[in-house]
Amino acid sequence: MNYGFVIDQERCIGCHTCAVACKIENNLPDVVWWNRILTDGGAEMDIPAGEFPNTTIEYVPVNCQHCENPACTKVCPVGATYKDEETGIVHQDADKCIGCRMCMSACPYTGVRSFNWDEPTHVLDMNIGGVDAPEHQKHTVEKCTMCSHRVAKGEEPACVEACPARARFWGDLDDPNSEVSQIIKKRSFKQLLADEGTKPSVYYVG
Amino acid sequence: MTDMTSAAAAAPINVSQNTEQQGKKASASWKSTGLTVGIIVCGILTIAGIALWAMQLSGSMIQTGMRNLDSWGLYITFFMFFVGLSAGGLIISSVPKAFGIKGFGGISKVAIMSSIACTIAAIGFVVVDLGQPTRIWELFVFSNIGSPLMWDIIVLGTYLILSCFYLWAQMAHERGRVSDKALRVLSVIALLCAVMVHSVTAWIFGLQQGREMWHTALLGPWFVSSALVCGTALVICVVEALRKVGYLSLDQAYIVKLAKLLGAFVCVDLYFFACDLLTEGFPGAHGADVVSMLVSGQLAPFFWIEVVGCAVCAVICFTPKLRTNPLIVIASLLAIVGILCKRIQLLVGGFQLPNLDYVGALSPQTITNWEAGWTDAYAGMVYWPTPLEFGVMLGVVALAGLVFLLGIKFLALQPGDKIQAESEK
Ligand code: SF4
Ligand code: SF4
Ligand code: SF4
Repeated sequence: MNYGFVIDQERCIGCHTCAVACKIENNLPDVVWWNRILTDGGAEMDIPAGEFPNTTIEYVPVNCQHCENPACTKVCPVGATYKDEETGIVHQDADKCIGCRMCMSACPYTGVRSFNWDEPTHVLDMNIGGVDAPEHQKHTVEKCTMCSHRVAKGEEPACVEACPARARFWGDLDDPNSEVSQIIKKRSFKQLLADEGTKPSVYYVG
Repeated sequence: MTDMTSAAAAAPINVSQNTEQQGKKASASWKSTGLTVGIIVCGILTIAGIALWAMQLSGSMIQTGMRNLDSWGLYITFFMFFVGLSAGGLIISSVPKAFGIKGFGGISKVAIMSSIACTIAAIGFVVVDLGQPTRIWELFVFSNIGSPLMWDIIVLGTYLILSCFYLWAQMAHERGRVSDKALRVLSVIALLCAVMVHSVTAWIFGLQQGREMWHTALLGPWFVSSALVCGTALVICVVEALRKVGYLSLDQAYIVKLAKLLGAFVCVDLYFFACDLLTEGFPGAHGADVVSMLVSGQLAPFFWIEVVGCAVCAVICFTPKLRTNPLIVIASLLAIVGILCKRIQLLVGGFQLPNLDYVGALSPQTITNWEAGWTDAYAGMVYWPTPLEFGVMLGVVALAGLVFLLGIKFLALQPGDKIQAESEK
């Protein structure tokens, strides 16, 4: 089994709902985003590329790519980040992480890993989201877990469920009949930084 | 010039005068007020550094300049730098013994002592960089043998133990307790270990496929050459200083020999740099960004200090007229500063060019200069350390100084009788 995502960039409206759903489900600290909606061309977020009136904007939702050949897991000295061969999920164990940040240097996908540089704080003074979502610890690295706590219960990741444009799909890429496999069979797709050799499990169609 | 000739002339006289005292000196500790002051200053700085490190841990690492998109900083820069410095000493003292060629007079033990001190600093820099230093034990329990960091920890630990053992063996050898053959075997092992340490440190960076600037096969040999440059330069500085204060006396010919060696190493290092720049830049793709960032971009000051400094160093080392003691020391310092600049280029350069050239939400933990916005965060150097980091860095460097000075004070690191006799011939 190899779980992965398909993101339909033609449908994505750049609403950041998946980013927020992720934040809520996983009780992310204030400054942490595991899933970010990036735009290209402009100097800042949501600024289109090109000269008016010939402008374009591309929304690229980016979370951990749960690579088939992850760069991060190889370099972690204590195995705090590791690939689950059963599901293809790249896990992150905050209790084990020694905070050496080897993985952050190794991962080619700029910014999918974040380190808790400060004591994690939350606007609300209670925990929100999944009861079994991971804890957040100061001075450890964290990232998208593919909502492994939900997947274990047979649910879809929170970001997929929440997307109002139905632009996110999730499923087993090894199963030729799964929705994700069907989409990438029919439509042209790209993978981020495919030439890095990490074999990302996120496919962008559109 | 007059200075130099008189120093050269004075040296042999010193030697013969010292030989008799050597035996006594060897066991008694060496006394000097300057040394005591040095030890106290280093001690205070080390304690201050530890206090600041405690602050960094109990407060948090948000007090450093490091952020998610530039997740290593001053500490790892100095880690690389000190691993490099530690090489020279061990290599300079082991190469002559390993290959049975004539050495550099009696500086062998001082050189190893400098290696030990620098290795301790290198380990110290990794430790202060960790977010969870109390979990260090996990490295030995859950070791992921595939991780270059794990290799480095194993090799660095071995290197430290081996250096200490090697120092002991040399001292024992002088007292006739270790045979020539055993010392020679040990020298070969020490040499191999020194080369390993540098290659493995290079691989921490060079095996990271995600960073254009680091991912090159040349990085291993290049680290070894840089280590030779700054290690030799350090040994020259240390020996000159110890000569000045009268701790040891050494024939000028040895210094000249070291200087020539330094010149050769500097040239090899510059050659590697040129090869790397050409290979990166020639295809004109992403690698061209690396070249322009170095030559005319954000890292240009460090690039040019390195290139010019190393070139000047080579000129001094190769021109007999310029090889006076003060100039040799200046050349060595230029080489050390040059290599430090190279470490800075390498570390910051790895983060200066993001792989995913998209923009998104910024938070105080995204990037050092986040308030300025995406464009400005990358306009200058993407990372600059905070005063806290400089303080902790000083503390670790002082720790190395402390170890070295204590070695000078309590161990008999002066040339032993055998070598002394050799240098008299
Ligand atoms: S995207 Fe980065 S963090 Fe995620 S699996 Fe791939 S290499 Fe690892
Ligand atoms: S920071 Fe944590 S997860 Fe990342 S490599 Fe180090 S120990 Fe592993
Ligand atoms: S799979 Fe879960 S953890 Fe990953 S981005 Fe989506 S919501 Fe966040």
